[in-house]
Amino acid sequence: MSTPLHQDPRLDQAASTDESLLAAHDKLLGKQPDEKGRYKLPPLHLLFFFSGLIFFAGTYLNRYSGMFDARVYNENTLPPSGETVVAKLDPLVLGKKQYEAICITCHQANGLGLPGAFPPLAASEWVTGSDDRLIRLVVYGMTGPMTVKGVLYNAAPMPTIGKVANSQYNLSDDKVAAVLTYIRHEWGNTGAPITTDQVAAVRSKEGDRKPYVEAELLKLN
Amino acid sequence: MSSTSTHAEVTAADTAGRWPVLLLLASGLGWLVISGIFALIASIQLHSPTFMSACEWFTHGRVSALAETTFVYGWSANAGLGIALWVLGRLGGSTLRAQNWAVIGTLFWNLGITIGLGGIATGDATSFALLELPRYVQPLLVVAYIAIGISGILAWSGRRTEGTYASQWYAVAALFLFPWLLIAAQTMLLWSPVRGVLQPIIDGWYVQSVVSLWLAPLALAGAYYAVPKITGRALPSYEFAPLAFWTLLFVGMMTGGRHLIGGPVPAWIPTLANAACWMVLFHFTVVALNLRGALTGGGTSLTFISFGLLAYLAGAVLDAVTSFRGVALVTQFTYFTTAQQQLALYGAISMLLFGSIYFALPRLIGRPWISGSFVRSHRVLSMVGIFLLVGSLAVAGLIQGTELINAKSTFGEMAERTRPWLLAVSVAQVLLLIGNILVLVNFLRSVCGLWCSGVVSEVGSFRQPTTMEVHAS
Repeated sequence: MSTPLHQDPRLDQAASTDESLLAAHDKLLGKQPDEKGRYKLPPLHLLFFFSGLIFFAGTYLNRYSGMFDARVYNENTLPPSGETVVAKLDPLVLGKKQYEAICITCHQANGLGLPGAFPPLAASEWVTGSDDRLIRLVVYGMTGPMTVKGVLYNAAPMPTIGKVANSQYNLSDDKVAAVLTYIRHEWGNTGAPITTDQVAAVRSKEGDRKPYVEAELLKLN
Repeated sequence: MSSTSTHAEVTAADTAGRWPVLLLLASGLGWLVISGIFALIASIQLHSPTFMSACEWFTHGRVSALAETTFVYGWSANAGLGIALWVLGRLGGSTLRAQNWAVIGTLFWNLGITIGLGGIATGDATSFALLELPRYVQPLLVVAYIAIGISGILAWSGRRTEGTYASQWYAVAALFLFPWLLIAAQTMLLWSPVRGVLQPIIDGWYVQSVVSLWLAPLALAGAYYAVPKITGRALPSYEFAPLAFWTLLFVGMMTGGRHLIGGPVPAWIPTLANAACWMVLFHFTVVALNLRGALTGGGTSLTFISFGLLAYLAGAVLDAVTSFRGVALVTQFTYFTTAQQQLALYGAISMLLFGSIYFALPRLIGRPWISGSFVRSHRVLSMVGIFLLVGSLAVAGLIQGTELINAKSTFGEMAERTRPWLLAVSVAQVLLLIGNILVLVNFLRSVCGLWCSGVVSEVGSFRQPTTMEVHAS
């Protein structure tokens, strides 16, 4: 049974027949009729190696699987817990965003409006004055003439911004509060921030109503 | 069957069943040469991007898809099936049945590949790795494969002995698994595509399974047959071969997710694959123990099989090491992954198949290979070529990987630094192409000897094999 040393590269000689190859290997697997149920203990080094691989793979899987959560993309993190974390937004950032989306069309980026058409917000007594007036003016809008810094404006109505009936914009209370805080802070204006609760309180007090006229607002303090 | 013919190395059963096998092997070697030409063009374009870029059919994306498709579905599939049918027929102990099915299946398989390659060249390629064949040829491929496979399955189910041998397990597994792989992949990716990020996951699974569940089993079927036949000794540690087989089938399939490390998929998918990459090392250990006799044996066939075996093991270790995310950070999505793929497809699977083909052909035609110098040249060219190919790609990949994570380095610098290594890749492709032309010519000339007048049968040159004894282990 020595290794054939026939070195002709054109032909590799076979040393054993197919039948004996099958029979010999069958015997090794213990499948011979006289050897049924014969089990051989694997050599220890193979057993240790295989166990080591299983241990390693199991540990690795446990450590880096992110608990098999489809939301985990970084293998070093765990899936998010049930609580929703709400990020705190700076009202000035939120307010600026709203202003640039809605108000800027008429009141302009510099807050000066357009003389003769749209009243200014910068240094306007309506902005820096009464909270109640300002909130109502923005949430419900306003029709008719209006005097700002001694100049009469009557070109266009103030649209209804808040989340009330017939509103053109349906902005939530916190967004209204944010944009009001923003215009009280820009262009040299100074004024206390407007809170979401204040806006909500006005809305629940007034309910759904039509836009104000100047006289109604001036009655408020 | 008389006792003399039972023990003769080449029997009537061999020669009666040779045509399907010869057709498969010849088609495989033919496609191998064509794939080498495509691969050479694609590799030249990596360092000289304008090469053939004016020709729409041979732009880099198409020609590299052509090279890959021809290599896997042309060469590896045909040659692997040829070897699988031959081994199953021999171990089954009778003439191959359903030969017409196998021949018709082979013709249609190759027709499908040809139409598919035309489709890829003219712009019908799909966007999935290893599944580039346009979808209109894919059902044809499934049917053709099943037709070829029937012959192998019949040889297995009609075998003379009750017990089965490792070669048969691997061959039959490959025959059954590939239709499943191809049907599942084409259904989920081409006919009724799954959404978004699921597509690369399916494709990663398919790419890995083509190697682990289809080509590697085909190659191992041949190696498990040739090694004990040539050495004349029963395989050492053969008791664990079943365990190695099932480890490959169950765990090997799970390693697909390693292609997605660093990709936009949930973390557990690559993690599972990485764990599987380590678990599957058990399969490789047992294969190494079983086939270690090849390393000490001489001769053409065992030299190829030894090289293939070492490449198979090296590839497994590389896959396991690069599956760590820290390593993958550098190697993933670079030439290094190409090097790993070439090591698996060329270094391991193709070399194992060559070894089996060198063993099988003389038994199919009843005479030795016609040219010994061609055999020797092919041996040297493929070994040097594969070393150069895989080594250069790996170095280029490491350079590329380190430059890619360095924000200060520019794309131009990266191209400049990888260029010498990519030139070496082209040299390697030339060597491999020459070697493959030699083996194709040698194969065709040897087979043509069957018709040529004046050639006497050289069955006498086959030594009479003896009975294998089992040594107490």
